[in-house]
Amino acid sequence: MHVGIIFFLVILGSVLFHIFTPWYWTDVASNWGGMDDTITLTFWIGGGVFIAVCLFMIYCVFKFSYKKDRIAEYKPEDKKLEKILTWATTLGVAALLAPGLIIWNQYVNVPKNAIEIDVMAWQWGWQYRLPGEDGKLGTTKVVNINDDNPFGINLDDPFGNDDVMIQSDVINLENNRPVKILLRSVDVLHNWYVPQFRAKMDAVPGIVTFYWFEPNKTGEFEVLCAEYCGVGHYAMRGGVEVQDKQDYDNWLQEQETFSDLIAKQKILENEKTKLAKK
Amino acid sequence: MSEDFNNNKTIQAQSSEAISGGGSGVGVDADYVRPAEVADQDLYHGHSFITKWIFCQDAKVIGVQYFLLATFTGIIGLILSWLMRLQLGFPGLAPFMTAEHYYQFVTMHGMIMVVYFLTALFLGGFGNYLIPLMVGARDMVFPYLNMVSFWSFFVAVGVLLASFFVPGGPTGSGWTLYPPQAILEGTPGSGWGIMLMCISLILFVAGFTMGGLNYLITILQARTRGMTLMRMPLTVWGIFTATVLAMLAFPALLVGALMMSLDNVLGTSFFMPTILKAGEVLEYGGGSPILFQHLFWFFGHPEVYIVALPAFGIVSDLISVHARKNIFGYRMMVWAIVGIGALSFFVWAHHMYVSGMNPWFGFFFATTTLIIAVPTAMKVYNWILTLWRGNIRLNTVMLWCLGFIVTFVNGGITGIFLGNVSVDVPLSDTYFVIAHFHMVMGIAPLMVIMGAVYHWFPLVSGRFLSEKLGKWHFWLTFLGAYSIYFPMHYLGFIGVPRRYFEMYDSPYVTSAVGMNEFISIAAFIVGAAQFILIYNIIKTLKTGKPAGHNPWQACSLEWLTPTVPPEHGNWGDRLPTVHRWAYDYSVPGAKEDFITQTTPPSEVAGSKVEKT
Amino acid sequence: MSDLKIEGYEFKPGFKGMAKDTSSDQTMFKGVHWGKAMMWIFLLSDTFIFSCFLISYMKGRGSTIIDWPNPSEVFGLHVFGVQVPLLLIAIMTFVLITSSGTMALAVKYGYEKNRKMCGWLILATAIGGLTFVGMQAFEWSKLIHEGVRPWENPFGAPQFGSFFFMITGFHGTHVSIGVIFLFIYAYKTFAGHYDEGKRGWFTTMKGDYVEVEILGLYWHFVDLVWVFIFAFFYLW
Repeated sequence: MHVGIIFFLVILGSVLFHIFTPWYWTDVASNWGGMDDTITLTFWIGGGVFIAVCLFMIYCVFKFSYKKDRIAEYKPEDKKLEKILTWATTLGVAALLAPGLIIWNQYVNVPKNAIEIDVMAWQWGWQYRLPGEDGKLGTTKVVNINDDNPFGINLDDPFGNDDVMIQSDVINLENNRPVKILLRSVDVLHNWYVPQFRAKMDAVPGIVTFYWFEPNKTGEFEVLCAEYCGVGHYAMRGGVEVQDKQDYDNWLQEQETFSDLIAKQKILENEKTKLAKK
Repeated sequence: MSEDFNNNKTIQAQSSEAISGGGSGVGVDADYVRPAEVADQDLYHGHSFITKWIFCQDAKVIGVQYFLLATFTGIIGLILSWLMRLQLGFPGLAPFMTAEHYYQFVTMHGMIMVVYFLTALFLGGFGNYLIPLMVGARDMVFPYLNMVSFWSFFVAVGVLLASFFVPGGPTGSGWTLYPPQAILEGTPGSGWGIMLMCISLILFVAGFTMGGLNYLITILQARTRGMTLMRMPLTVWGIFTATVLAMLAFPALLVGALMMSLDNVLGTSFFMPTILKAGEVLEYGGGSPILFQHLFWFFGHPEVYIVALPAFGIVSDLISVHARKNIFGYRMMVWAIVGIGALSFFVWAHHMYVSGMNPWFGFFFATTTLIIAVPTAMKVYNWILTLWRGNIRLNTVMLWCLGFIVTFVNGGITGIFLGNVSVDVPLSDTYFVIAHFHMVMGIAPLMVIMGAVYHWFPLVSGRFLSEKLGKWHFWLTFLGAYSIYFPMHYLGFIGVPRRYFEMYDSPYVTSAVGMNEFISIAAFIVGAAQFILIYNIIKTLKTGKPAGHNPWQACSLEWLTPTVPPEHGNWGDRLPTVHRWAYDYSVPGAKEDFITQTTPPSEVAGSKVEKT
Repeated sequence: MSDLKIEGYEFKPGFKGMAKDTSSDQTMFKGVHWGKAMMWIFLLSDTFIFSCFLISYMKGRGSTIIDWPNPSEVFGLHVFGVQVPLLLIAIMTFVLITSSGTMALAVKYGYEKNRKMCGWLILATAIGGLTFVGMQAFEWSKLIHEGVRPWENPFGAPQFGSFFFMITGFHGTHVSIGVIFLFIYAYKTFAGHYDEGKRGWFTTMKGDYVEVEILGLYWHFVDLVWVFIFAFFYLW
């Protein structure tokens, strides 16, 4: 008897834990509320099945526990019942799969007006690059990376000159404007993940991966690395600040472009050579 | 050497018995079983201590050897998990827990538990012990190869554990061993550690292939007379399908491990793109890190079912025996096992939804993954329908089975979250994943292992384990493990990423400090509870209640050996003859509530038994 | 199937009959020796290994940044001052395929209990295999002499060297193991172990000519794999 009661308390406890838990997801701050909805849907259907199966099991434990004079039923198969259960399950699974696929379809199709952001990861940190006025990012190569060219931009690519370089681990985003995150890594796998945006994708060395979202809440958020990348993995943090258009434009004005950087370096070099001549 | 063999058995000696029998109601024809196709196996009988217990060719001894060695590695894995939980629950309490050590323990815990503990225990341990007994063979078909299989496993474990003592320590690249970080500095054990890991895995695969060939051929070609495929216990079906999966999935791991070793030692660039490290471009270039992930998960996903399918099979048998009822929908159960096994080769990339592979794969793999949910759900329904209108003995074995159903359904349903591609995006690489796979392929199979130990211990040793200690063991393990992993899902909802050595003070993580402490304490208790079993075994080996012949009143062949525990050769002079499936419990009209597989129809003429 | 006779068992016709036969008691594959069934399943597993290698090779070749070298130049041979593409490899392939033929004959004579012929043919197969391994060693040393290494390649993508040495090396290991066993089996045949049913020194199993066929299965498999490697490396 006590077996059934304990199992029942476990199920009851699980339900109560879910209702009263102080630990639940953060408020969504991007357009991916649909992901939360599919989770909720899966949660209720799945949770319903879990509770139903367990309660049925507990019922059996109460009702059919061993008695010397009882004889169990002898019925090897019940084709009809098995058929009903198969189709019901198939239907339930299809109902869960469909919304998942619909949202995935949105996830892989980036809207045309999305602003591209180059997110470059290394062990263990982030830096960011925005396209300049031409709206296009310059092409890059890992071998080009050095102190003068922290993103490895190809110098003969004209699109690269006006790229805005943010050599900080915090990036600002404009509220209500879709962004396409272009991820690349110079060493190992990383993953640029902001829990409030829900979305994530690995940065893989050698290729450029992408995903997109549209922030819809202003404020500061923490960036976490979500793919194990060595001993510094847990400390690989960054930041995002979502701002309204005005603030964002102000911030963008203050950032340095690639040509600025080159010009600055030229001046420095000239001064150096002058000093050397003296 | 020839005197070590008993060659006197012939085909004729067996087939003469076939026509005998002849009861009242049913004619002689009903009891007829056609003669043996294959001559009886001649076995090498060891005489010295070494050939009998160490380099032994008896599958039962090899099974026990596998069991003990796997348990030993499992305890190491358990201790590593304690150390990890110590760090996560109470950071800074143990000064030796550096980030390097933490990641090394994470890696070794994962690899040990999945490959060297669960796989070896289910297939090497239970497979070796039970297959020949359950299908009515004298031994595995290639006893010598079987022995070599165990000793390869032994060396593989040795190499794995040796990596704790090499410069740099064991690899700390996570059990998935993803390159490039697995072989780059910045990851602990990137030199010796990963090398030994690869060697150990290759040895394991080689050894496992030898064992696997044995299991398959024994099941396919060495069953006893009357044992058709659809009369085999589900345990055999589960182990059989899992072995097929292993034979086809381990090659991918072998190739991946070999290529990564070459990248590491020779400086090839199979998985290594151009890499900038500490301001210098390394001498790698042009390789693809995602290729390794495909190879790994082509192995890794079937591996999940290599662990799960034997558990499915075993738990079906345990439930059936202790509910005194035939397993509900046996044929559906067989096809579900085979179907899950086949499908498991088409779902591997659901581990890679956010890996940067072509995102269009997501549609395909989400669909195939959710299709697997259907046969899996059918199995769950059939288990609980077996309980329904049964006559359930609530002993320790049944408790473990009930615990399995709860944890498996829980973990299975969270699997639907993670398999459904866009639902996976926010949850992947968080604690939700950890909670999911520990529940579904850690705790649930462990429940089955424990149930199986309490169930078959009387066969192996001839004595019962203590029920009282067993119940303590069960409740501590079940309640403790459930309270570790159920709340852990909510850490995943918050968005806490996995493989974090510590959390610092991120706002949404600090709220979970209390939960982490609670989980850690529960983990210490659950881990300690496992030593109850060890104590129980040691105690009852000498003083336990003698079990006698067929103590659970089971139908299947392994309980019907002439001696308990069975001796080398299993069946004495004559192989058993099978007349029915392994689940004729509570047949109306029969004298007892079970009819063993060897009972000929004429002996149970009055009962309403269905033909199987 | 109809020529196979099992005492007390009748094979049933059609697809359903086949299902019945395979799921019947005792054996799934009627009349198939345990060792032979084992070798088939092992070869299936080995097929997966080579498939993984070749698929990785295709992926690797498809995604390199530097161009893949032209195989007919790299594998060419200067004979009497003329550059002949794929000459060596053609001879190697011919030798290996021929050895498959001698192996098949050895199996035939084995079942006819023709001890001498069987032994000589196994020996011929072993020598064919040895020749193949020797020529492969020559090709390796030629490439190494020209500067090709697993980690670099003067003719193009470094992955060419990596995949070439790894896959031909893995295949060469298979051939070498096969050659060792062929020599052992040739000895055992000549010594008459299969006629007397003498127990193996290692496995304590009784000797039988079916073992020659089992080794033959392995040898044909190794040849078949070579055909694929040949097509993927030398003709693509």
